[in-house]
Amino acid sequence: MKTGRQKIGKAILWVILIAVAVIQLFPLIWLIDFSLGSSNEMFTSGLLIIPEKIRWDNYVKAFVDGNFLLYLKNSVLINTLAVVLVVIISIMAGYACRRMRWKLNNFVKTVLLLGMMIPIHATLLPNYKIYHSIGVIDTIWALLIPYVAFSLPQGLFLMTGFIESIPMELEEAAVMDGCGIYRIVFQIVTPLLKPSIATVAIMTFLNNWNEFIMASTYLSSPTWKTLPFSVLEFTGEYSSNYAVQFAVMALTAAPAVIVYIILNKHITKGVAMGAVKG
Amino acid sequence: MGGTKNEEKLIAALLVAAMSVSVLAGCGNNKKESTKTDADSKTNTSSEAGNDKEDTKDKEDDSTGDEVTLKLFSNLPDRKNGQGLVEQMIIDEYMDANPNVKIEVEALDEEAYKTKFKAYAMDGMPDVVSIWGQPSFLDEVLDAGVLAELNESDYADYKFISGSLEGFKKDGKLYGLPRNTDIMLIYYNQKMFEDNSWEVPATYEDLMTLCGTIKDAGITPIAMDGGDGWPMACFLTDLLVKVAGTEHSNIISNAISTGDFSAPELKSATQLLVDSAAAGMFQTGYDSQDYGTTQNLFTNGQAAMYVMGSWDASMALNEDIAEDIRTNIRAFTMPVVKDGKGGANDIAAWNGGGYAVSANSAVKDEAIKFLNYMYQPDKLSKYGWENGVGMSAQDQSEYMTGNETELQKQIIEILNNATSVSGTPINDCGPSAFKTAIESEIQGVSNGSTSVDDFLTTIGAACK
Amino acid sequence: MKKLYSNKWVIFTLVLPGVLVFLFAILAPICLSVYYGFTDYTGMSEENFIGLDNYVQLFHDSAFGRSLLNSLLLAIGFICIQHPLAIIVAAVLDKLQGKAEGIFRCIYFIPNVISVAVIAYLWKFIYNPDFGLLNNVLKIFGFEGQVNWLSQQNAIWSVLIVLIWHGFGWGMLIYYTGIKNIDPVLYEAASIDGAGWWTTFYRITLPLMKPVIQINVTMAIISALKQMETVYLLTNGGPANSTQFAANYLYQQAFKAFKYGYGNAIGVIFIIICVAVTVLLNTVFRDKQEA
Repeated sequence: MKTGRQKIGKAILWVILIAVAVIQLFPLIWLIDFSLGSSNEMFTSGLLIIPEKIRWDNYVKAFVDGNFLLYLKNSVLINTLAVVLVVIISIMAGYACRRMRWKLNNFVKTVLLLGMMIPIHATLLPNYKIYHSIGVIDTIWALLIPYVAFSLPQGLFLMTGFIESIPMELEEAAVMDGCGIYRIVFQIVTPLLKPSIATVAIMTFLNNWNEFIMASTYLSSPTWKTLPFSVLEFTGEYSSNYAVQFAVMALTAAPAVIVYIILNKHITKGVAMGAVKG
Repeated sequence: MGGTKNEEKLIAALLVAAMSVSVLAGCGNNKKESTKTDADSKTNTSSEAGNDKEDTKDKEDDSTGDEVTLKLFSNLPDRKNGQGLVEQMIIDEYMDANPNVKIEVEALDEEAYKTKFKAYAMDGMPDVVSIWGQPSFLDEVLDAGVLAELNESDYADYKFISGSLEGFKKDGKLYGLPRNTDIMLIYYNQKMFEDNSWEVPATYEDLMTLCGTIKDAGITPIAMDGGDGWPMACFLTDLLVKVAGTEHSNIISNAISTGDFSAPELKSATQLLVDSAAAGMFQTGYDSQDYGTTQNLFTNGQAAMYVMGSWDASMALNEDIAEDIRTNIRAFTMPVVKDGKGGANDIAAWNGGGYAVSANSAVKDEAIKFLNYMYQPDKLSKYGWENGVGMSAQDQSEYMTGNETELQKQIIEILNNATSVSGTPINDCGPSAFKTAIESEIQGVSNGSTSVDDFLTTIGAACK
Repeated sequence: MKKLYSNKWVIFTLVLPGVLVFLFAILAPICLSVYYGFTDYTGMSEENFIGLDNYVQLFHDSAFGRSLLNSLLLAIGFICIQHPLAIIVAAVLDKLQGKAEGIFRCIYFIPNVISVAVIAYLWKFIYNPDFGLLNNVLKIFGFEGQVNWLSQQNAIWSVLIVLIWHGFGWGMLIYYTGIKNIDPVLYEAASIDGAGWWTTFYRITLPLMKPVIQINVTMAIISALKQMETVYLLTNGGPANSTQFAANYLYQQAFKAFKYGYGNAIGVIFIIICVAVTVLLNTVFRDKQEA
């Protein structure tokens, strides 16, 4: 009796899990499927198609005309820089606010954390004006500044938590050895923060990788455009060719998905750590 | 339509006549005198920006060979078909002829383009830009003085159709050049019509009946780009022309200047749109579908008709479209409505899109040189015609070969027979706040979520 | 040691970059917004100081009201649909052992790493009434009518579905971690007492997850308020403002309707609302925790 019920329970469990998995994945399978066909095959009524002829040239078009390599390079570069800056700045500020002794430490920390509450899009209009007047529009800075600014509060929040949990003894020993604060921060504390750095890096990366409103407002020439532009530009450029549009979407999504699948365990851990704390 | 000399002359003459009517009619009130005097007089400094320093004098003679980069901001993202292809062809030619000049193109969809244009207008624009010679777009832009003044006398032999430049002027000064003569059309799939023995409707009632029949046959009657708002506003303008005849432009300009849209003609035209949508004239979800999706519905044979301007006539030559569809695209204009004052040949048409040069461009002379190059009659106008784009704003009669697509011939005929031309469509007649309001609200009224009266009140409020 | 740790100069250099970033990229634009919010600046013309006119107008602006309502609907949708689903799936997943667990977790999270630009366009196609995936699925189940997913009545719910789909993995993962952190001894005790799955879930998992749920609910409400990018690409607020959101609306007003001053006024109110809601939620939850 009991085993029977357990079996049914197990079956229900699997059904739920598989159903959710199908819902999460099927749209992507659909995307890839149609990206290999031709445009007019879209109008068939079945769920998936078996393309008459597999059209890899859709991907060639997407790759070449979508400026895929350039935009990918820009995305990677900008996001990496943003991550590095966020990590360094948040360690420095986090250490100063948590370990150093000064009157305003809590005030400064609170002020810096305020950024978490500010909706990033509300700064679009005034920032456009500001960036113009200081001449950073259409440069890498126009993206780096807001990306760093709006990831910093979260990074700082996580960092302060982690710094707190590091035992003081190590630092005390370092001080005895005559280390300065900078060396303590960067040579003693930073290595201990490795898992937290990973978390902050992953959160920052996920926040900014997908961003495009700012990119499309602040950038005009292809020099610094990021990956989402491949998709945005294609819909106009190939408005009459759905299959190519699908190909460019699949192609644009691919790098992040592939990296995620490879680093899946670390990313999951990082997100879990960051999100639960944050 | 063989294309004998006489016929061509006639066409040219009619075009001229038609477009002058358009100017007199279109949004009449906001235009003061537009005599073409002192285009290059430097004492008259009504424009705020400093665009009157080095103006137009030395533009021909500075091809010094210095490296110059021109930024062109375009509303034509598809660079392989139609208008975008024509633009790109000229750019490539220009760069070949002037190796020291590099032209960088940033192209966005119309809606995205207009938004970003305004962002650019705040602080510094690309050198050459697409513009629309319509109050909703140009008035505020010209007030801010972000566009460079052009010397009108330079264009004396560019064969611009008389009156076509008017929308691009302010206080008699010219700030841009028109690219097209746009006509609102209802494209249809001739083969589909013949196969089902459907007839091109003569009246709007016929059109409604026809749409019913088509719908019953399981086909979408009309593909309507309702997600964008402006095509429906153009459709509404077309209906208004049929309801109110040549009076329509006075009605619109009165309504916009007073904010009172309660004129019976406006009501009944809107009501027609609402009834049509309610009867299922447009595809399911028309009010959320964009340009590309809508066009594809038609070009993939899913819809029998398609409402769009004459610039889309290049569909007939687009290789991405299946041959049996692309060669069968034909067009008619909005049929007459019952008790309407507008006749079959009162059409909705205007000179809308065009180009201008940024006033603060660092390479303004080169930019104007390029602009002038584009508008040499054998460039935009000729290439446009050869690539099946609708009508340009210049006299195209000498490029007519007789080998035009059937669709192009139809469009010529429509213009030929036009007794009056609407001028600027309703959404473009007011300030941009009005444009934003009507293009959003028209979705709500057409799908029945707001009443006609509420719609007219809301768009009226946006004029104040 | 004390001296070293209270060296003003060192402290200054450590916090300087962070403070600079804050001042320049967050505080400065907000101040500028406040300033422009009091003007009728169109974006190009001279600006005139018009006092509170923009705010008065905003108060009567039905589209802005609609965008706040939409945020509320979205938040409710997240809390009532996405989160219960996420908790249940997380609890179910927790029961699974071995490789399958990791694979499912990985699959659920995949949409999360895909760019919003791709997601929005993909769903535009999925919702297409003529050839979209969703209507084709319905056809298989025997429904014929072409459902208009993005109609004025349905659009906001369709947007919600996209966001739930996109963010599901994130929510699930957090709950999953929360569940994993629950002391297994409690479950063993429960199973000795003969408690079924549901009782265990209801009596042990849920109560212990309360702090995690609170965090997630707060995040859901905030992200509902801040929603812009998906809507911008999927519907751009249409049809007729039925899917309008504050961020998208201020963008439209400033860059489309030439009302830069008004757009900034919206921005100011938007910031105030976001800050107020965050503070409120934190206070409510903190009080509850202490009680």
